[in-house]
Amino acid sequence: MRKWASILAAGAMALSASLMATQAWAQDKKITVVTWNIPYFQDGFNLWVDEFKKIHPDFEVERIDMKGTELPTWYQTQVVAGTPPDIVNIQGGLWLEYASQGGLKDLTPYMERDKDYADRLIPEFADNWIYEGKQYGVPLYVTKTLLFLNKIMMEEAGIDKNPESFDEMMEMAEKMTGEGKSGFMTLNFDWLYWPLFKMNGIDFVNEDLTEAAFNTPEAVALVERLADLTERGVIDKISWTGRWVEPNGAFAAGTVGMLHAHAPAYLWFKSKGEWVNEDTVDSIALPGGWATPNSHSLVISEGSKHPDVAWDFVKIATSGVGAKAMGEGTNNLTGDREVNAELMKYFEANVPAVVPALQTELENLDKLTGNWPFAKDAAIKEAFYPEIQAAMLGQKSAEDALNAAEQKVNRILRSR
Amino acid sequence: MTRTRHWPIHLALGLVSAIMLLPFYWVLKTSLTGENIFVYPPALLPTDPHPFFYVDVWYAIPFFRYLVNSVVVSALVVVANVFLNAMAGYALTRDFPGKAATIMLFLSCMMIPFQVTIIPAYLITAQMGLLNSYFGMALPLMSTIVCIFIFKASFEAIPKSLIEAARIDGVPDWMIVFRIVMPLTKPAIATNVILAFIWSWNSFLWPLVIVRDVEMQTLPLGLSRFLSVVEDTTGALYAFCVMVLVPGLVIFLLAQKEFITGLTSGATKG
Amino acid sequence: MAAPTTSTPAPERRRRSPSGKVSFLASQRGRDLTLIWLFLLPSLAIFALYRIIPMAWNVVLSFQFWSPYKPAEFAGLYHYEEMLFYDDAFWQILWNTILFMISAPVGIALALGVALLVNTQIRGRNVYRTIVFMSYPVMTVAVGIIWQWLYNEKVGLINFLLISAGIIDRGIPFLQNFDFALPAVIIASIWQVIGFYMIILLTGLQSIPPNLYEAAAIDGASPAQSFRRITLPLLRPSIFLCFVVGIINSFTAFDLIFVMTGGGPGHATDLLITYIYSTAFTLSKFDYAAAMTVANFLLFVLLAFIANRLAGGEAGAVRREA
Repeated sequence: MRKWASILAAGAMALSASLMATQAWAQDKKITVVTWNIPYFQDGFNLWVDEFKKIHPDFEVERIDMKGTELPTWYQTQVVAGTPPDIVNIQGGLWLEYASQGGLKDLTPYMERDKDYADRLIPEFADNWIYEGKQYGVPLYVTKTLLFLNKIMMEEAGIDKNPESFDEMMEMAEKMTGEGKSGFMTLNFDWLYWPLFKMNGIDFVNEDLTEAAFNTPEAVALVERLADLTERGVIDKISWTGRWVEPNGAFAAGTVGMLHAHAPAYLWFKSKGEWVNEDTVDSIALPGGWATPNSHSLVISEGSKHPDVAWDFVKIATSGVGAKAMGEGTNNLTGDREVNAELMKYFEANVPAVVPALQTELENLDKLTGNWPFAKDAAIKEAFYPEIQAAMLGQKSAEDALNAAEQKVNRILRSR
Repeated sequence: MTRTRHWPIHLALGLVSAIMLLPFYWVLKTSLTGENIFVYPPALLPTDPHPFFYVDVWYAIPFFRYLVNSVVVSALVVVANVFLNAMAGYALTRDFPGKAATIMLFLSCMMIPFQVTIIPAYLITAQMGLLNSYFGMALPLMSTIVCIFIFKASFEAIPKSLIEAARIDGVPDWMIVFRIVMPLTKPAIATNVILAFIWSWNSFLWPLVIVRDVEMQTLPLGLSRFLSVVEDTTGALYAFCVMVLVPGLVIFLLAQKEFITGLTSGATKG
Repeated sequence: MAAPTTSTPAPERRRRSPSGKVSFLASQRGRDLTLIWLFLLPSLAIFALYRIIPMAWNVVLSFQFWSPYKPAEFAGLYHYEEMLFYDDAFWQILWNTILFMISAPVGIALALGVALLVNTQIRGRNVYRTIVFMSYPVMTVAVGIIWQWLYNEKVGLINFLLISAGIIDRGIPFLQNFDFALPAVIIASIWQVIGFYMIILLTGLQSIPPNLYEAAAIDGASPAQSFRRITLPLLRPSIFLCFVVGIINSFTAFDLIFVMTGGGPGHATDLLITYIYSTAFTLSKFDYAAAMTVANFLLFVLLAFIANRLAGGEAGAVRREA
């Protein structure tokens, strides 16, 4: 037992020592940039560095690329150790958790100082990174959801027009459903499925984000209907369980009539399905124009030792030639309005297949949904989605699911 | 057991093997064709197989560099495991005050999953100045409890008379484990080598967290590095998995020799 | 010196009384103890650094409000109350974890069967061993996707076979179904871990001195008798070890579950470890995750303690006279 005691004592000492220590890891003149799953984006990144060195020749740039599933784990470990990377590329609502707890630099003063830069950005996209009136990120590349149509299946089902309402969309889906085939599928991660609710007039939360607003008779009816369509195979079950590979892989297999996904899905399923081309797949806005953005931004860690220098790098990467390189290198549009016009010309000449999908990204910018700045976005998602999923898959009644979800969401909205 | 009665065993093992191989067969098939696995009906035979994905992997990432890193870390882990586990396992075959508590402590340590230790383990490793180093990657895996108990069980099966005899012959106590006991438990050593190698070889989250330098990355990190959302990498992903698997299997087959030695030395009457 | 495998004090007494030189024995004992602790020290140090201290960190954290971005504040039992009284997902996930654990003996029994078969002198045993073992070292990223496909409602092989055989006429969405998802994941995890069990059991079988069987054969024991009298008792530590590995089966299956279902549908395939991980790193609720870590730890240690007791203490040590 003495051994136990001494082990524990030594342990406690080492623990406190290690928690108090700060890392002398970072060099003096270096900024670290973390990108999100774009390791192939090399030339463009080098261009950013070259541009950056014109202003800060004495600074080194360290680049790290992470997959989205690993980035939060790695990043938060670095934050605890006191060595956060200066600039991080973040997707979806992840930044909200960090920003709301003071983990990210408020960029508002920089935006006010650099008016020229701020004016270049498309406000609807830039506003996605405002929390409690403060700007925490700027758009690196922008995407939002749209509807991909499998023209082959539509033709087989005798459909020759695009859906113009939710009802019409579901009728078409029903016609395309058959042996081994389903009519409709959506991605579900983050809030990507929310346009289906919004287009039926359902709001998630009240104006000031303090109380759930989704538990209405209309919502119950909608969830019941979606569940029924899912049960009958009109909506593919993968809609409610898959993440990225499964739904896009299924669409690529040619057995799904319509796919509600964001633009990067196009090149992904094109690479998996040889049948995919401009004639066989149409890209249109969802009826009513609603879409959930799923953009990427650059943020600066609160613990950054050189925030001003990092901001200069951020500006280079998200506007002008830097943004153009980003768009060309990843087949995406950016937050810079002028650059997007140039990029569209580039894509028309070089990658015409992606043009229709990208075109939808710049339209209906007043119809963005599923992008509420909740401090506890991830926790709310985690409380809401499993309930909805249970209802969609027939495990729970729509009413029970929405009641339970409402209770949980409100509890989180009220918690500390 | 007579030769005529072997066929039921082959039948049973054949069935088990088929089930075990099935998912793996698809990994192999996809690595050679890159076809979308979600097509219908399932294609049982690969159409138009080619080795290009393997070539792709080799060039897409600094494969050789990562291979060297993986080998170095795994070698450290394997060597440390064999010695440290054998020592601890041997100690646990002896009587000493606090033995029951020590065994319970080891068992309790098994119940702490790596995933909940990431942040403190990182801080400790940083404190020791081992970030970004081979040793830092290897250290947490250098002794493993399962293998300690495997050694303990094997040592206990050795007749005590042998150890007594060695002692009477004047072999120093600390040498007994290396000179007398370990040579008699080759299957346990082989198992240690195999398991330690695989754990280290496939280790992902730990190197991910503590390695920052691209030059120091191991193969599983390489996988994550070159997989990306928009590019067509399915075939390459599977090719990569096969390439990473091969060394583990080679080690397994090599270590198997030790199992056979055990067998041919006479355990044939079962 | 006294190096009894058995914990009975008999051999020591035997050594002590005939010689009568207690002081000499005491110093010999002292040297033995030093050696024992020196042998244990490196492993203990590694576990202290990478298991015990981090666990202590979790314990401390579970009583605090903390995240990487703000200083710690004392929280008392807040997180434990949250866990026990408000988080209904926790109870479901606890139950999933227990089901997962209960399923372990199936894998162990299968592995024991395979291990016994490949331990005979049959032709091709190396091939069989390799095949059965192979599932363990394959990286989960790829196999997870293959299992997703196997279980797929429309295009999966399992449904294809069941429909072709006329057993069902519509595909079952195994991983999307709340009742089938957990069993489906359990089967995949048994597939993955069976090679691990097999190698532990095989090592145990290999360590049984062959002369015991020879002696038994001379005494006229049938194969069944020598299996019961020799194999099973001597295999006990290995079987015990398999059960302990079975307790932490959910840790082993972490990657597989992450790739196959991500814990869904709902929380149907979430286990404590997957839930803890996503609570900590995705939701940034490290403090709450720490409370669940403590609960998980206590549960598993209790089970390990019971297993150890049932195995006669000492990790199922074999009591055999020298």
